[in-house]
Order: sequence, then structure tokens, then C-alpha cells
Amino acid sequence: MKCAPILPALAILFQFITASCCENKCSTVDLQPDPDGSSPITSPANASIKKSLVRINSTIQTWSASQPWDKSAPTSRRALGVLIDENCVLTTAEMAADASYIELENAESTRKLPAKVIAIDYEANLALLEPNNGNSEGFFSELEPISLGNPAMIGDRVGVWQLEDSGMPIITNATIQSVDIVSSFAQGHFFLTYEAKGSMQSASNSFTVPVVHEGKLLGLLSSYDAKDQIIDIIPPEIIRAFVDDASDGAYEGFPSLGIAITSTVDPNFREWLRLSDDVGGLYITKVRKGSAAELSGLEKGDVIVEVNGNAIGRRGYYSDSRYGRLYWSHLIRGSLKTGDKVDLKILRQGEEINKTATLARPGKRLVAHYTYDQAPRYLVKGGLIFQELTATYLKAFGNDWETKAPLNLLDILASPEDYEEGRNRVVFLSAVIPTPATTGYEALRHFMVTKVNGHEIADIHSLIEAFETPDADGLHTIEFADGPPKTIYLESSISDLVDAELLKRGIPSLTRQ
Amino acid sequence: MLRPLPISSLLMVCLMHLMIVHQITAAPLVYPETSLDASLPHEAYGSVVRIEVATQVPNYREPWKAGRFSGGIGSGFLIGPNLFLTNAHVVSNARRLLITMHGAARKHPARILHIAHDCDLALLEVEDFTPFEQLHHFQLGGVPKLESQVRVIGYPVGGNRISVTRGVVSRIDFNTYSHSRADQHLVVQIDAAINPGNSGGPVLQEGKVVGVAFQGLRSADNTGYMIPTPVVRRFLTDIEDGKYDKYVDLGISDFPMFNPAMQKKFGLSPTSPGVLVSAVIPDGPCDGVLEKNDILTAINNNAVDAAGNILIDGEKVNMNEIVERKFSGDEVKLSIIRNGEAMDVICTLKPFPPSRMYAIQYDVKPRYTTFAGLVLQPLDRNLYAAHNLSNTRVRRLFTHYLDDAIFKERQDIVILTRVLSDPVNTHFDSHVGTALESINEVKVTSLKHAHELLHPENAPDFFVIKCEGIERPIVIPGNKADAASRRTQQNYGITSAAYLGE
Repeated sequence: MKCAPILPALAILFQFITASCCENKCSTVDLQPDPDGSSPITSPANASIKKSLVRINSTIQTWSASQPWDKSAPTSRRALGVLIDENCVLTTAEMAADASYIELENAESTRKLPAKVIAIDYEANLALLEPNNGNSEGFFSELEPISLGNPAMIGDRVGVWQLEDSGMPIITNATIQSVDIVSSFAQGHFFLTYEAKGSMQSASNSFTVPVVHEGKLLGLLSSYDAKDQIIDIIPPEIIRAFVDDASDGAYEGFPSLGIAITSTVDPNFREWLRLSDDVGGLYITKVRKGSAAELSGLEKGDVIVEVNGNAIGRRGYYSDSRYGRLYWSHLIRGSLKTGDKVDLKILRQGEEINKTATLARPGKRLVAHYTYDQAPRYLVKGGLIFQELTATYLKAFGNDWETKAPLNLLDILASPEDYEEGRNRVVFLSAVIPTPATTGYEALRHFMVTKVNGHEIADIHSLIEAFETPDADGLHTIEFADGPPKTIYLESSISDLVDAELLKRGIPSLTRQ
Repeated sequence: MLRPLPISSLLMVCLMHLMIVHQITAAPLVYPETSLDASLPHEAYGSVVRIEVATQVPNYREPWKAGRFSGGIGSGFLIGPNLFLTNAHVVSNARRLLITMHGAARKHPARILHIAHDCDLALLEVEDFTPFEQLHHFQLGGVPKLESQVRVIGYPVGGNRISVTRGVVSRIDFNTYSHSRADQHLVVQIDAAINPGNSGGPVLQEGKVVGVAFQGLRSADNTGYMIPTPVVRRFLTDIEDGKYDKYVDLGISDFPMFNPAMQKKFGLSPTSPGVLVSAVIPDGPCDGVLEKNDILTAINNNAVDAAGNILIDGEKVNMNEIVERKFSGDEVKLSIIRNGEAMDVICTLKPFPPSRMYAIQYDVKPRYTTFAGLVLQPLDRNLYAAHNLSNTRVRRLFTHYLDDAIFKERQDIVILTRVLSDPVNTHFDSHVGTALESINEVKVTSLKHAHELLHPENAPDFFVIKCEGIERPIVIPGNKADAASRRTQQNYGITSAAYLGE
């Protein structure tokens, strides 16, 4: 089990999403489950599946953490998507997140078509693409959409589809061995995932590939462990929820309850909580402000024993009618959508209480946990570089970022509730460009900004405003929570000159809001 | 100001030879044809002694254990009647000290008279000085000039006989003393090869000692460091009253006054003297004397420049050099500008015990307590080095222990360093490596306090132990705690359940 007792649950439930949507709708007419979906895997339907395969080539570019006006060097990824509607291609979010350019390519590699994202979910790792300008130029005329199949059972044999360079399909047979709750792209977001055993080969466009069962799309491969030959598959339930959500053109995303939990296995802990032996339960360690859980009246220290009538065990598992023992989070993220109500039975000081929560998307976080497709917000003033703190910035410190990144900033990520008051975001001095205005300040970095010119700083926007009013002597006063020094000054006339010079020297813009 | 150094950036290595060489072949003393130095008698070699040390190094991972028995070889030299000077790191954690004269077989039992871990110096005496009575006593000289030649004498790795190397003084600067890791004093860099075993040996120029060889640089060849005589003299003066009182410092942070806007704000011109006081350590010697945003313009009438340097003997040195040579109880006159007004204030220097958090401790037994398989230890540099403490809250408490005045409320930061598995504690492990916040809702202020809260006269229904940053408390039923404590002590060979200090 990949879930450490506390952190993953936190992460599962507190994330937010920025879905990029557009007017275009992707209808779901073809995605209704086939009532007669029981043909054997060797069915001739395989031939038609080949007709739904689309190669996807993306050029991915993230933003530079240290020089937030720059994009970093591009990398490319090649995958297989599937046509699920007239001109609507399904792939993973990994293929579309931070993409500067996406193109579709036919199986024979004779035609290419620029594409754009119409819906993306970084948490569930899914994306829908369509032609860039709405005109497919006949690209899809040779293709046929595939319909989404029914959920599989453990033991089912499935086919994983890859394409040779020639356009010939390679089909790997795999057997679904288990189901689990896995985080496949945005860290800490756990979704139902099939784990199938099968030996795959490397082939072009294999970053993610479709998986087929009984002639229909079962899911998308999200990762392959070559050592253990385990194929992780995003299952049809999750894909269906994603596609349904996107069908009205305004993608919302998977709901969240807004709590962090820990297990109640420890008998001493149970005794202290006055839990009887016949109940399981999860201990709530955190209830996020404004979350569905808080609005429903859940409190820190409550023990959740039932979710929509499903008894929750001591380690958080319930009995799923299809899959057997499954982690409780699937009852929220995977079974329900925003706006749905969920009945919760809790024990508070040993007493049973029933609550009903209306699920919602989690609220905005003080420190964004992921920032795909979002350029960092910053301000350069006289050579001082200010940014809004994100987990992406901290992760730029490398594999051991949790020890290497600045301690004060890590603490904000770990305990945002201590910093939330009066802030939308945390603004910090990320670095100093040596200029005539910043003489003596060159070594300062990673200080959280509290005030500029007497104004409280809630985000980059308020920082820009605060810099508009230097004092009577023409000085800007910048105050930090960290330090020393706690306060530095900037000559406004010099810094304005420097700013003009920095623009001439090639910084494209001094700010991004 | 004392600041913890990131452990990874620590390049200095102590030069003690960590291999016990048991056999020493007796050989007649042969002096070189030409003297070491025109002004130094041939026999001076005999005053450089070999120090053989047997140590017992405390185990901070399993503090109930006796520790590791080890030892090594260092050098030392005679500076007066039965006064042998060496490095503190040569004799730290020593259980037995033996001094040998050059080329002689006899080992003379010795003991430590004074030891100063903050400047890595120690003074030893032998039980019977008679055999040494005829030996030359080295005199202390001054600080050698840049580019001047010096000789390093000692017993480095690779033999039992004296080794002499020559080098040139290549830099004189403030630098970290790796023995405590937290102290910075004057250091002289020489390009002579200094190797393990050289530690504590004299560095000579014109017949006088100009330094004590003490550390090298791991990343560079032929770079050695010596403790210069101002530091040695200060040590010898400090112990005149019979005990070593340690270095004192101002307990402030300063920030250079280079920025034009900063100068304008404080009404200074680009040529004005003065450095900004950017922080004053609570309860430190300058608390109530200096304030944040004072401009410090002079120390004892030595003008302080915008970078915080002063001029002594024609050399620009850090202003702390004034305080470096002072002692606890001494007064320092600080000239400042506060809110545009010039004034003089007096700071009485004093030791500041909470700063021990950042210095490696030697010759102390690690404190700890155990409870139902839980091992609790106070946070300090030794613990930090022994355990992989990566918890953000713990690292923050450590880093800000002084400047956030955490020491006022918490004499110790108590860390749960280990859980020895037992049926009573088998279901939590994410708590290991975190700091104890409270026990049954009483804030934990020290190890002793934690020990008392966990061993009350009448056990409560539950011991509820809350760790910082973890909402789920550790719960141990009161009626099971005693048995669990006994069981874990028995099973894990914990001979003593706690050591809370003297």
C-alpha cells in the first residue's frame, strides 16, 4: 500500500485544479456503456480499434524557477491517444500539461494536425484534445471513434495497444491482478487504478497508450514498471466521470471532502478514542477551512466510520462490490461528483453522529501544490525578484528538495494555516539581480515579504500596488518576516531607471500577475 | 554571532590521527645537523611530544550504551613547567592520556589541566615531570606576516618519529573551528602539508611558536591551518583564574551599509562609518543595550566601517576581533547612531549558555530518557549530527532557537529519536524524529520535565503525547506503561532507563 497514514490523505483531498476549458463541447453520445459488452477479447473488433488510434506528439516546456520570465528548454513526449468522439481525442494529462505545442498524427505517420486541449485534469491524469482551429482537414475521416467499455474485474485479460513505426499494431495481453488507489501525475492525488501484469516492449509513441477490453476502451496506461512488468491503467469509471464533466464545456474536476485522516489500528489509540471493537474508522487530523467537511460540521478528532453506508475499516478500506477491499477515497473521488451529497457516520467522543456533506472542489490553497500550465507570477523591482510561493518553486531544488529548499518556505508549505491570515498567496524575495539599486542586497533571498511601503502584501497584485507609493524621500520600504535584515530600502528613482534598463537588457516583462 | 553551519558545507577536518599505534620503537635521539632555527637550540625537538589518547566516544544514537572505545595520536609541546599545549580535539572524550618524548620509549601518564572546545586548545600536565625538566620551553611569538616561512613540527601519520614540514603563510582570516563547528576565530592558513597526527604540534618562526597546527581542508592539498597566538594567549589568560570561561560575543547580527537607499534612510553618506545592527539576540549581552536598526559606528573607539570591519595594527579585521580578545565581565563601549542621534552605550560581556545548541559537546554523557519503548533526547548539535533529523519543525526549532528566543520557554527541545518496538507502541512510526509538544496537555519545556511528566506518582488513564506538526497523538494507557518500560529495557538491553544530567 503506497499510503503513508497521514500525508496522502491530506493530499488527496486538499488539491485544487485549474481546468482549461473552451466553448467547444465534446459530446459523450458514444460513451454510454454498451449493454451487450461481453464479447471475448479475441473478437474481430480489434480491427476497428486500430482505427481509433491517434499518435500524439507534445512539446513540453515548464517555467524557470529562478528567472520566472523565462521558459525552460523544451522536451518532447510521444504517446497514443484514442478518438472517442467525432474529433475528440483522449489522452493523459501528462501529455498535455505545460505543452507549448501538441500535434496529432495518424497511425501511418503520413498526416499531422495541430491540436489543443479542451479539458484537462492533472489530478486524475486525463486530457481531451481536439484540432486547433476546429477544422480537422479530413484528418479524422479514416478514423472511427471507440466507445468506452465497462469496468473490468480482477482476472480479466486486456489488450495494451502500441503502434510500430510502420503503423502496425502491437498488442500486449495483460491480466488485471489488482486494483489500488494510485497517484499517477499531480503528486498526492489518488485515484482508482487497475494493475495488470504483462510484458511490454518499447515502441514509438508509448508514453501513454490505450488499453482495450472486449472491443472497447478500458482505459489508458498511465505507467509501466518494466522490472515487475506491472501496467497501471486509468479505469473506465474515472474516464467516464472526466468525460461527462467535460461534456458541457466547463470542466470542474473531481470533488473533495477536505479532511486529512489517519488510521485507527493502534489499540491504545482506539481505547482512548472509545472505539468499540466492532467498528473501524478513520481519525480526522485536519478539517480544511471552507471545505465540504467543515460546512457539514465535521471536526478534527472525529472518527469516520461510514461513508454512504459503507463501513470504513481501521486502515480506511471498505468492501467494494466489484473490486473487494478498496481505499475509502474512491467513495468520494471516483464515485461522486461535485454537488453530490455524501452521508457520513462519525463517532465523536464515542457518540454516533450522522452528517451530510455536499461535495465541492477544494478551495484555493495558500501555496499551490501544482502549477501546470500556469506561468509563475512575479515582480522585478530595481533588481529584486519577488515571486508567489508554489510547491513547484520548492521542487525545483531537486530530488531532495524537502531538505534542500529553504526551511522557512518549506514550513509555509507544511503549515499554510499559520500563514493564511491576510494573504491570498505568499510573496517572497526569490533572488536579487545585482544592480545599482540593489548594492549590498545581493546575497538576500527566500525571505517572505510582509509589507511594502506600509501596505500588507497579500499577493503579487498587492505588491505591485504597494510599490506605487514610495515615501516622501522617494524610498521604498520592504519588510520581511524572515531576515535579518527585517527591513530593506530601495531608492525609487534609481530602481525605476534600473527597471527600464532591465527591459532593454532582455527581460521581456518586469511582472506577471 | 554563533550560527549553525550547514553540515554538508563543512570542509574542515581535524588533524588527529585516528589510528592507534601501539608499538613505539626506542631509538636514540638524533638531532639534525643544522638547527631548526638560528635562535632555537637543537634540543627543542625534544619539547615536541607525542600524545597517545584512548577515548570513549558517547553514542548519541543509543545513549544508554557505553560508547565507542577508540583512540589516536596527536602532538603537543612544552610551553612552561609541566604545561603541555595541544588541541582540544586531540584529548576530547579521553579516558587515558600518555605522553612520549621524541625517540623515547617511556610513556608518561598525563591529564588535562584545562580544555577549551570553542578554540580547540588544551593544556596538559604529566604525573611526573622530572624526565621533562631539562627540556626547552617554547615561547609564543606574534602573528606571522603573509608570505613568511614557518615550520610545522609533529607526529603525523606514517611513523613514530618527528616530522618537520615547511610552508608559507598564505592567508590570515576569520574561519570556522571545526572542532565545535560553531565557533569562528582568527585562523592562519599555511601551504605546508599538515596531516592527521600533526594536530596540536607547534608552528615555528624564528625560534618562537606562531601557531598550533589544527585542521586541514579536505578539498585542497597542501593547505593547513593553525591557531595563531592571539587565540592561544587569550586561552592562557582566561585560565589564569583556574577555570576556562569560554569566549564571549556581542550577540548581534550586522548588515553592511552599502545600499544608497539604506544610507539615505539612516542619514549617512557613502563614506560614513557604521554598520547596521540588524538583529539583537534576546537575553544576549547586547539585549537592552543595542536595538535593531542602530548604526554601530565604533567599538572601544575603533571606527567600524560600512562592512563591519575595524583597523587593528594596520590590518582591516572584523569588528568582532575586539570582542574576541575580551573576557566575561569585560565592558565594551559601543558608539551608535539611534534615530539620527549619536550616543555611546556600554555592553558588559557575558557567557550565553543557550548558544551551546550549536556547538558540538565533548566530555559529556548524552542525556536521555525512555518510556514504554520511546527514547527521548534533547536536541543539540551532537544529536543533530547523529540522527537524520529532517522534520521541518525540528529543523526550524534548531535554527531559530536563539533568535526567536525559544530557549526562554524551552530549555530543551525534546526529540522522540526512536521507538523500540513493543506491543504497546507498535502502531506509530511517523512520530519518530519529531519534537515533543505536550504530554497530557502540559507543554514540554525540558528533558527533565518530560521525564517527570511521564513518570508521575500516580499514572493517569492515558499518557497522551503530542508531537509538533502531527495531530494524531501517541497514546499509552497508564496501566500498561510501566510493564512496557520494563519489557523494552529488558529486551533491548537498556541498562539504565534515563540519564537526565548531573
